[in-house]
Order: sequence, then C-alpha cells, then structure tokens
Amino acid sequence: MSADTINTLEETQVMEGNAPVSTERFLTFSCDGLNIGVSTNYVIEIITDHAITMLPLVPDYVKGIISLRGQIIPIIDIRLRIGKTPIDYTSTTCVIVLDINSLPIGIIVDAVQQVMDIDQTKISPVPVENQQELISGMVSTANRSVILFLDCEQLVQTY
Amino acid sequence: MDNMLEMYLYETNTLMEQLDELLIEAEKNGVFSTNDVNEIFRIMHTIKGSSAMMEFSTLMEIAHHIEDLFFYIRENGMDSLDESHKNDLFNLMFQSTDALRGEVEKIENDEPLSTNIDQIIANINSFLEKISSPKGGDSVDSTKETDASEEFKPADADAIAVINQELAGCPDSDMPYFIKIHFEQGSGMENLRAFMTITALREIDLSFEFYPEDVETNSDTAESIIDNGFFLALSSHEDVDKALPIIKEQNSIETYEVIENAAVKQAVATSAPPAVSEASVEKKEVPAASGEAPAASTPSPAAQKTPQASAPHNNAPVKQSLISVNLSKLDSLVAIVGEIVITESMVTSSPDLQNLKLDNFMKSARQLRKLTDDLQDIAMSLRMVPVSGTFQKMNRIVRDMKKKLNKDVRLTIIGENTEVDKTIVDSIGDPIMHIVRNSMDHGVESNVEDRIAAGKDPQAEIILSATHTGSEVIITIEDDGQGMDTDKILAKAERNGILTKPASEYSKKEILSLLMLPGFSTNEEVTEFSGRGVGMDVVKKNVEAVGGTISITSEVGKGSCTTLKIPLTMAITDGMEISVGKSMFTIPIANIRQSLKTKKEDIILDASGNEIVKCLDEFYPVIRLHQLYNIETEITNIEDGILIWVETADKSYCLFVDELLGEQQVVVKPLPAFVNNFNIQKLGMAGCTLLGDGSISIILDISKLYTAASLNY
Repeated sequence: MSADTINTLEETQVMEGNAPVSTERFLTFSCDGLNIGVSTNYVIEIITDHAITMLPLVPDYVKGIISLRGQIIPIIDIRLRIGKTPIDYTSTTCVIVLDINSLPIGIIVDAVQQVMDIDQTKISPVPVENQQELISGMVSTANRSVILFLDCEQLVQTY
Repeated sequence: MDNMLEMYLYETNTLMEQLDELLIEAEKNGVFSTNDVNEIFRIMHTIKGSSAMMEFSTLMEIAHHIEDLFFYIRENGMDSLDESHKNDLFNLMFQSTDALRGEVEKIENDEPLSTNIDQIIANINSFLEKISSPKGGDSVDSTKETDASEEFKPADADAIAVINQELAGCPDSDMPYFIKIHFEQGSGMENLRAFMTITALREIDLSFEFYPEDVETNSDTAESIIDNGFFLALSSHEDVDKALPIIKEQNSIETYEVIENAAVKQAVATSAPPAVSEASVEKKEVPAASGEAPAASTPSPAAQKTPQASAPHNNAPVKQSLISVNLSKLDSLVAIVGEIVITESMVTSSPDLQNLKLDNFMKSARQLRKLTDDLQDIAMSLRMVPVSGTFQKMNRIVRDMKKKLNKDVRLTIIGENTEVDKTIVDSIGDPIMHIVRNSMDHGVESNVEDRIAAGKDPQAEIILSATHTGSEVIITIEDDGQGMDTDKILAKAERNGILTKPASEYSKKEILSLLMLPGFSTNEEVTEFSGRGVGMDVVKKNVEAVGGTISITSEVGKGSCTTLKIPLTMAITDGMEISVGKSMFTIPIANIRQSLKTKKEDIILDASGNEIVKCLDEFYPVIRLHQLYNIETEITNIEDGILIWVETADKSYCLFVDELLGEQQVVVKPLPAFVNNFNIQKLGMAGCTLLGDGSISIILDISKLYTAASLNY
C-alpha cells in the first residue's frame, strides 16, 4: 500500500490561532492506509532490508529477531499487531527501531513519511466508539489528514 | 566524592593484593629482599597517604606504623634480624595486612571503621622495639622514642618556619631548583591540593622534595602554603621541565615560579664533588638525625624524604601500567568489533563484486581481514585475566591453616597464567578455596607419623593446577593425603538418609558424588575451617552456575583430586549448527552424544504412535524439531534428515533435524525480553547467537525441549 492513500478515519476540529506551546517531534509512517505517528524520543533509527530470523511458536505479529550491531532486537509487524491483513513487503517497507524504556524493538511499517512538529495540546483522545488498540491519541494536520499516535508503552506490554 | 572513594578502594585493594603476594613469596624465601622492603615501604606509604586524604584514620595509622617498621628494616638491613625475629615479622605483617583489609572491607560495606587499633599498633611498636633494642645505639626504648618524636615534630615545624623566613620564602635544601606554587585564593584545603600535586608528580617517577613536608597529615600547613607558597625542590633542570606540565594540569593553581637555589648553584660552580658529597652526607644524616623518628605517630620529614630520594630507582620496574575500565564499555567494544568482522565479510564477499577481476581490491581486502581478525582476538582477550590472583590467595589460606592445624603442607601452583574470563575468575575463587580447605582439613593426615608409616614424604603436598583445553579450563586440586574411604561415606550417607537406592548398588564414582549432596559433611566435628555440612554442595552449585562441572576422584591412602571443568567464558560455548527448514539452531556440543542416519525400518512406533529409535541396544524417543516448532521443511522423511542423539543430566533422546551444518564456537546472547514474554524459553529456546555471516541461530536447551515435547505428545 502506498503512502499517499490517506484515509481520514475521523473528523476532528482543528484548533485555530494558538501558537504552539509545547511541541514534540513525531515520525509519521503509514500502515494499512493509516497515518501513525511515534514520538522521535523513542526512535533510534530506520532500517531497511534486514534479514529477520524467524522464531518458532510465537504470535504471528512477532516476525522474529534481527541483529543490529550485535544487539538482538525483536521485530513485530504493526499491521498484524493491530489486526490488519498481512501484505507482501515492498521496497518502501521498513523497520523503525524504537527504544521504549530502554527496551529496543523494531516495528515493520508500510512506509515512513516524515518528521513533523506537533503541538501536544492539540492531540485529542480517540473517540470511544472508534477506540483502537495501540492508539493513544489523534490530531488532524493542516492538510486535513489525521495522524494517530502509537502507544509505545502498550506496544511492549506483556499479557 | 564517590568516584574518589572508588579510586581509593581500587588502588588500596590492588596494593593489598600486591602486598599479600609479596609476603607469601618472601616468607617462602625466609627473608625480605631489599626490593621487597622498598616495595612494602612504598605500598604502605601510598596507603597512608591516600587514607589520610580520604580521612580514614585507622588505616592511615596502621599503614604509618608499618611504614616506620620497614623504615627501620631498610636502614639496618634484613640481616640485622635473627631467625625468630624474622618469623615474628612475617606473622606481624600478616596480622597487620589482615587488619588493613578488614578496615577496607568496612569502608566497602559502608560500616564505621573500628576505633580500637591500639592492639595492632602496640604489636608493631613492641616488635620494632624488640628488633631495635639489641642494636643498642639506634634507639633506646619506645616510650622515649615517642616522647622524643613528639618534641621533634613541633621543633621541626618551627625550624621550617624559620627557614622559610630566612630564605625569603625558599626552604633550605640542597636541591638546585625550586618551584614555588601559589594556589587560587580561597580555594581551600591548600595542603591537600599540594599533596595531590605531589602525588601527580610521583607518578612520573620524579625525584623531588617538598615544603612544608607534612602537608599530607597536618592541615595547619594550609596556612603556611597560603602565606608563603608551596615549594617543590628538584635536582635538575630536566626534572623541572618534566614537572611543569604536570603542575599546569593541576586544578586551582594560580601561579608558579621556578627559582634557582643560589647557595647550591654556587657550590656546584666551585667544584662538582662537594655537591655530590653533600648530597650523600645529607642522606646519611637523615637516619642519624631522626633515628628516633620512625616510631613517631606523625610522619616525620625524614620518613618522607628518604623514600623519595631512593624510591624512584627501585620502583620504576615495579610500576604497572594498568587502567581499570568499566566492564560494560568492554562489552560494547566486543560487540562492535564483532559487527565489524561481519560487515567486513559482507563487503568483501558482496555479490556486486562477483565476476570482477579486482586484484588490488582483493589484496587490500585480505589485509583488512587479517587486521579485523587480530582486532577481534585482542577484543576477546581484553576480558581474559590470569587465574593467578585467585591461586595466590590459596597460598595464604594454606599458610594460615598449616599454622593452625599444625600440618606441614606445601602448595604447588601450576599454570597460574592460564587466562579465564573475568566474571568466571571472580566466581571460582570461593569454590577453590573451599576445596583447598577441605584438603587441608580432611585430606592431609593429622599425624606426620601416619604419613611416614605410609611411606610418604612427611611434608604433604597440595597441587593446584590450571590448564587450557580449547574451550575449557581444567582446574584440579590434588592432595596426597589419606584419601576418602568410600565405605565411611556410604555409611554416613545412609545415616543421613540421602541414599536413593540400596547401598550395595552404589559405584565408587556415585559414592564420591554423594559428597556434593546438600547436608553432607564427612567430618564428625565442626572445625573452624570446614565441616558445617554446607560445603561441597555449595561448591557444586557455584561451579555449575558458571557452566562448569565438578568431579572427585580419591583413593584411600593415596589422596584425592577434585577436578573443575570451567568454560573459558560464560558467553562462549561450543555448539553444533543444525538447520530445520530455513531456520538455524545451535545445540551445545556438551549435550550431543552422537549423530546418526537411520532407516525407516529402525523406527518403531509406540502405543500412542510416537517414534522410537534403537541406539546401542537402548530405545530412545525421537523428537521431530520441525513438528515441535511448526517449521515448514521439505525434509520430513526420517531417512532424508539426520538424528542427533542428545543427552542431559537425566534425559536422553534423539532429535530429528534436516541437516548438520558444522561445529562452531558461538557467543551466547540472551533473547530479547520482549520475545521471552511468549514463554519461548519453556519451549527450549535458551538464547541466540550471531553466526559469521550475520545471521542468527537459536540456541536450544535440550532439557526444556524435551519437557516441551512431552507436553505436546
């Protein structure tokens, strides 16, 4: 799926006129048509073309492990994690390596889009009827697209 | 401050270890060589200085008194002591170092230092008195000594003050050059700053003197430093040049100036010999003038001046150039080097280069490979340390127990330079100590007559040896004592109710391994050293914790031998690479008994349809790894793949895999915590390892794999 297909799931009101008070940088990526942002505080790097070693007997969204400069990092596929259908990996598919409370983890996304500053006060919670796993909030941008925010803490939580 | 404390502890502990080794060695020879005496002197001086700086007064006091003692010995030579004195001296030194170590331990544990050290100091003083009294002339009696020195000190301080004034700030010295240092105003603790400067200068082996001389211990000198400056006296212009950069590096120094000593210059100008003779006169004068000083409770100038004058020459070869590095830094270095090696092979064997004729590139690539291989070797060796430190400690234990138990034993150490991973060295110290104690206590006969009657050397021998065998270090502790009586062991085990089968069915090997069960101690009485019943089982546990194994052999009347097999590093293990489908797994070599091809006819199905194979007249279950792990593979026919007969402590079975890829040493890495959440450890995946080409192979835990499989079937 390409990065341009932007599917605005939800209409939110754009707050007007306020100068950004507390902005945070977010890296946005696309995943099954959704635009998802993750705070750059968590991002270590973006890698492509890494051979993933499959692990037996783990949930299907756990793709396996990779070795990044000697460090073993688990890889999960965000599509599968949020319950979407799997697709074949394309040339834009890449792995974003995150460090969540010093626990490194890689997430497979359809494509990486951009890094943008987002005013944290503009982030609104997801309406209850549209609650989705792993999403902690949302914001709509100037070009009328909506960005969802990945709940990193929940991503690494154990069950 | 914490950092300073850490440095202090590290330094002091290193010195104490050096001292211990030196003492043991010296006791063997029965004499302290001149070098030993100087070395002890230097160690004590450093401990004294740094303890004073950290305000650990008890340590400082003890070190100070030992320093005084050795000052006397150095001046008078070891020959001035008779045999009994030498013996006493060694005992005294061991006692004192124990006291020092006890205090250091207290600092490490953040406990208050003991306030009562009079006993040990009295011991040192009375010994000093004893050895000095027959010589008559040198000093009279210790009470007088202290009195004299107490008077001596203020007088000396006064003298310096006078001199300072007289020479317009320049102290009296034969040294031709002075460096006058003023510290920044209001920087505080000028005396300690001065002392730190001194310490820094000593590190470059410079011979110098300094005024005021008691900066280290007397905080009042701070004021004189503020008023007059702090003086360093150096013997040559070259030394001045060497010292200046160091001084520049020191903090809080406002100004410094180099002053030539007019008087000495004149003397040198007139004729060279006088200057020399003057210097030697000065040297001789020191002990004479301050003959009573060594026992003083405050360091006397003489005690400080002399070591600097003569020490540098003796110390030069002893100084080790070691730095301490945080282990995590080392680990990341090793990880990066590993990555470089892999990247290098990725670059040189890149598919883009294929079918190209690149002579120069290949040449450089070969060179690069050689260098990266060297780099990897060095990086791996950084974590390796010789076992000598641990072994040397046993010397001390044997020595102490020999005295206590009144047994004549010599400890022979073989292969102490064998290198093992640092974490392993740290964790085998206690087990070895325990075994050595056991040998001393139970192994060696209590009566020499028994040994003579058995035709053995009256002096018993304990051999501690370490050897390398590729991936393992084998440590043996062997004694030629009375050996272990298997019948007695069995009887006792029966009494303690730890037998699991009829006593008659136990083999000798099994009986000896009973010793390592919890709650077994052959000694009827509990002694100071062993026999509490928590012994060999703890040893066994400790050894197994680092992936080692332990075994005991013994023959009645001939002695016993305990063998520890320890992996070189916990992080590296020998593994067999196997493949199933596209996945690769590593089976620890230690678990593999045999690999075999089998025919369909040899496979028997049991009642519930599980496969069983017959090896060497026994039947073993077959576990198909691709089935257990749900891996797609084309090899499902038992004849196409290969069976690996694996074994752990209590389980033995055959694992069906696609292919054997070969044996390899692998670096064990834990699986990420995130994937461990999925309970994969219970399924027999213990860790993973990086292969040479950068791919990951999963290390199997043979025992857990079996449990997982039996749950599945």
